[in-house]
Amino acid sequence: MNSLFSGKYTWLHSINPSLKLLTILGLFILAINIHYLNFMVGFSCVILTLFIFGTGYSYKQLLLLSLPFLFVFLSTSSSMILFGKGETILFKWAYIQISEESLIRGIHLGFRALSFAILGLIFALTTKPVMLFYSLMQQLKLPPKFAYSFMAAIRLIPIMIEEYQIIINAQRVRGIEQKNHLLKKIERLAIPLLSQSIRRAYRIAVSMEAKRFQSNRKRTFYYEVGFSRNDLIFLCYFFVLIGLAYLLSNHYPFLPNTDVRYLSD
Amino acid sequence: MTSVTSVRNLRLKFPGESKMLFRDMSLSINRGEKVLLLGTSGCGKSTLLQVLSGLVPRTIDIPMKCDDIQIPDQWGFVFQDPDTQFCMPYVDEELAFVLENLEVPREEMSSKICSLLKEVGLELENIHTPIQHLSGGMKQRLAIASVLALKPDVIFLDEPTAFIDEKGTEQIWETVKRIWKDKTLIIVEHKIEKILDFADRLIVFTPDGEILADGNTSMVFTHYKEKFKEFGIWYPGAWDDYKREPIMNNKKELPNTMKLQIFKGYRNKEVKIVVDHLVVHSGEWVTIMGENGAGKSSLLLALMQLIKTSGDYFINDVPIRKTKDISGLLYLVFQNPEYQFLTNSVHDEIIYGLKNDQEIESDVKEILSSLELTSKKEQHPYQLSVGQKRRLSVATAFLQKPNILLLDEPTFGQDSLNTFKILEMIEQERQKGTIILMVTHDHHITERFATRLWEVQNGRIVTDLQLNKGGNVQRGILHEFII
Repeated sequence: MNSLFSGKYTWLHSINPSLKLLTILGLFILAINIHYLNFMVGFSCVILTLFIFGTGYSYKQLLLLSLPFLFVFLSTSSSMILFGKGETILFKWAYIQISEESLIRGIHLGFRALSFAILGLIFALTTKPVMLFYSLMQQLKLPPKFAYSFMAAIRLIPIMIEEYQIIINAQRVRGIEQKNHLLKKIERLAIPLLSQSIRRAYRIAVSMEAKRFQSNRKRTFYYEVGFSRNDLIFLCYFFVLIGLAYLLSNHYPFLPNTDVRYLSD
Repeated sequence: MTSVTSVRNLRLKFPGESKMLFRDMSLSINRGEKVLLLGTSGCGKSTLLQVLSGLVPRTIDIPMKCDDIQIPDQWGFVFQDPDTQFCMPYVDEELAFVLENLEVPREEMSSKICSLLKEVGLELENIHTPIQHLSGGMKQRLAIASVLALKPDVIFLDEPTAFIDEKGTEQIWETVKRIWKDKTLIIVEHKIEKILDFADRLIVFTPDGEILADGNTSMVFTHYKEKFKEFGIWYPGAWDDYKREPIMNNKKELPNTMKLQIFKGYRNKEVKIVVDHLVVHSGEWVTIMGENGAGKSSLLLALMQLIKTSGDYFINDVPIRKTKDISGLLYLVFQNPEYQFLTNSVHDEIIYGLKNDQEIESDVKEILSSLELTSKKEQHPYQLSVGQKRRLSVATAFLQKPNILLLDEPTFGQDSLNTFKILEMIEQERQKGTIILMVTHDHHITERFATRLWEVQNGRIVTDLQLNKGGNVQRGILHEFII
């Protein structure tokens, strides 16, 4: 697990997390509003380039991490390609019907899903949760109450995973395997796991207050999260390259350049 | 003398409980006193700390009333569980959290963090160390450091060593004694041996939340020993006063043996425990001792086939290779009894996995009464007290009639009455021919009950010692190993 998620520290790590979050949200919205295949492909290439060369992870790690998303790419695009509606039929067999429109639409959809996934990965792989919340508190004025609750919750995840393993073992010893109903099994795991987690969360909350944590009081910050030149480079990277992709896709389309929406309907 | 914290006529009741935890209880603690609160589990000691610190009712919502309460201006609180005291992932960030709350300027933080860590003797190579990588004892010292940052006059300690091994416990108390010599300390603790010389005032509670005794150590112990015994409160010499009633059961059942040869247990492909050659027979009670993380739990899990193993492993000359091979032969009682409860009532818990017929019903009745749980048989196991949960989980183990019984600290956190009861239950099983393997930190158990001691160090059994049961001859040798 650890080796999969440990990479080099790159300039992407130094981007202000709030800015990174907002930029990526902006790109999400942009991706939804792209309706031309050439531009979509260009857009995806811009993001993929940053993902492959900017995140500081080895190719093997990147490949492993993006495998599930490649699957998403294939499944979303293939279902659209094989079953989508269209007029110019290219291939037809039983329920399968490939038309030019569905082919383009499918590939478009696949790239959109892929760019969503890659954007999410870029953010997750280059942002430390602690830094994100410190930045949200400092730049976006997130109330400390929420920020610290989230950070405390993140700390609980590995403890819960460990506990899950112990409970499975403890119940196996009691001979639980002979009677295997999925629902019953979930109930048996959920009750001890939840009861322990609730207790733990409650204790952490009490101990935080015992350390004089008050959400409405002014506080200082151990990590000062500010802006640097890298933030400008980050913004420029997307502005310039996506702009370029837009121009190129309009002037030199290498794929059929039609609007993928059902405008005729 | 001036009092730093006090409460007059405290009345407190947990919602949903019929009985009051405190009824008109008054208490006053003076500056500089080192107070130790004693009482059975559930008598309200921990709640009292929370009341005196103001956590109840400000943070913890429990209805309470009192005529007058004095909460100290500067106080700190060290809690029991090392895993639920921190909200940040790294050592420096956690201490910074406290400093941030106190509005310490950012530039001063790093140097403050270093000096706090130094003061509690937590010398780390890098202050940006994950808290998860610390041992339990180190985590508690980190908790002490964060309390230290608050510059408290009064410090509340709620069983800070309950989850910590012997070495860690010593380090924690050594730290507390060193840095808070002149402060007021209010301590709840079960393992009192290490701090008795430090406490100058003892307050003892009855199970009903009334103050039974209040005075200096020697006065309380000389006058109230009988009450301590009656309530099951640990006191120095509780073990010496304990006379085991001889259990008459001489009909030996089938003799059992367990053989291990170059037996290894793995976790994540790493060897966690190696046993070169061991044979254990019926009638043996082996206690497994060693520091936290030495491989004791891995040994139990390996024997249970719950982790990957290699090598030769025979029970009654039958080779064991898979989880299936051990069904019915071995049973492991986990440290936290809640993990092993599967049903919604005490009664169902006992009959779980057994064939239901008349004979069993009468057995169940007998077990319930011996556990003193007859009146609670319809309750959910989670609603039982700590001691009752433990007794129930040990009893369900016996009902499976395993040939070999493995136990992971079954007396952990129990009062003296419960501890003796559980040990007697196990002894009875031993005499029936069950092999007992038990992980424990308590050398009293090894001295009085065990027939054999294994000491585990760095994933190996480094000591294998036959003991004369209850004989004092071995005691000297034993101490060398344990202390």
